[in-house]
Amino acid sequence: MKYYLVAVTLCVFLAAGCAHKSAVVSDPAPSAAAPPAREIMAAPKAEPSPAPSADVSAAKTVGGSLDDYQDIEEPAKGKEEEKVTIADPLEPFNRAMFNFNDKLYFWVVKPVAQGYSKAVPEKARVSVSNFYSNFSFPIRFVNCLLQANFEGAASELGRFIINTVWGIGGLLDPAASKEIDLKKQPADFGQTLGIYGVGQGFYIHWPVLGPSSPRDTVGTVGDIFLYPSIYFGPWEIWAGSRVIEKVNDSSLHIGDYESLKEAAIDPYVAVRDAYVQYRLKKIKHQGGPPPPGVSGLLEDK
Amino acid sequence: MRRPLTIAFTTLIIFLFTLAAYAGVPLDTVQTNVNKVLDVLRDPKLKSESAKEIKKKKLRVIYEQMFDDVELGKRTLARNWNSLTVPQRQEFVILFRQVLEKAYIDKILAYTNEKIVYEREIMISGTQAEIQTKVVMASKEIPITYKVILKNGSWKVYDVVVENVSLVLNYRTQFSDILAKNKPEQLLEILRKKVKGQ
Repeated sequence: MKYYLVAVTLCVFLAAGCAHKSAVVSDPAPSAAAPPAREIMAAPKAEPSPAPSADVSAAKTVGGSLDDYQDIEEPAKGKEEEKVTIADPLEPFNRAMFNFNDKLYFWVVKPVAQGYSKAVPEKARVSVSNFYSNFSFPIRFVNCLLQANFEGAASELGRFIINTVWGIGGLLDPAASKEIDLKKQPADFGQTLGIYGVGQGFYIHWPVLGPSSPRDTVGTVGDIFLYPSIYFGPWEIWAGSRVIEKVNDSSLHIGDYESLKEAAIDPYVAVRDAYVQYRLKKIKHQGGPPPPGVSGLLEDK
Repeated sequence: MRRPLTIAFTTLIIFLFTLAAYAGVPLDTVQTNVNKVLDVLRDPKLKSESAKEIKKKKLRVIYEQMFDDVELGKRTLARNWNSLTVPQRQEFVILFRQVLEKAYIDKILAYTNEKIVYEREIMISGTQAEIQTKVVMASKEIPITYKVILKNGSWKVYDVVVENVSLVLNYRTQFSDILAKNKPEQLLEILRKKVKGQ
């Protein structure tokens, strides 16, 4: 029994471990942390010239005349894109945790997910992912309601019924097909709090769990109580199911974290920024149209 | 009875055409460029491993037509742009482009016929627009938004937003973090090292 408990605890640890790289990433929409990942056609590139230093004449190869390189007139130029920052008073701790999670990913999570993806074909893994997504419908449904996003809630309810009945208990996702076209509403409790006007606070990089903030940490804990398997008997079942879910998730996103890290100058800051941008947009634009009366709260933070 | 109908039809058609033409330029530009990229990637003559360099070369040419390097660099540095000297700015633009190439070229070359959907075009102002697209894959859809600016008569990309994360903003945070503690020259040195691959 004791060994069993140890094993389960380890599993929980690992389970969440995948969340580490996913947290940013795996949330409702896949890889936020992979802004780069799929830029497929976005950013073909550059000068071959490995010559790292550029003299003035090189300006021509870059394109644009010298005028383009003058001072920016109004330094407010960048302002039109919203400023997205977060306080980071815990930076030394956060950086240490970032490194820890990084090792955890490369030494444990990735090998496990790779082995799993060799054993299970992608189609099956997508189905497993659909199943879990369908299963966690209460989180999205309730949060849509809390956000007064009734259209979203209706859409979630419809998706749940259709996918459970015609999607073999949620293994398939017929509701997303062109004919039905009910979109998944990526609503969570951290987002709900944000829409109510709770600020992010500061940045926390949790060991294992990854990027978060006080608000989103409360959100994550809140959402656990809307996850059905927590009511299905002993907590080991919940933990076990989370492990499978996370391994499965990771297996569908192998490479995303690597791309992000490879593209970054400072991977820690890149992850932090991706997380903040992602959460902010989710609160500002994705909870459906801002519910009447709440929109005022959205304006500042 | 026939006449008015014909006239109505003609008007309607003319109206539709002008509307399409008016709404379409930024989106068309992005689409044309993306299609050029896809043509290179799908070219059966360039399938072999040895043709990789040829592909890269072709992609660079398209990149130059599609992106506004300097605008991208400026927006990424934002107010720090002014603290660099002009030659430093020029070197920065070149280095940053190389960093991006290095980071994304393999991803781009790994393209395997995913479908790209052009969802809509949003005019932000007379000279700026956002083109929302998505890449449809077996297991997921990835929203990609191109931000374009009108310069010298053509629309050029100055930022790419993938899954709600803006490339420019993401690098801006990293660079301003570095520049808060270091001199511009040190930032350039970091970028040089990154390009050299370590």
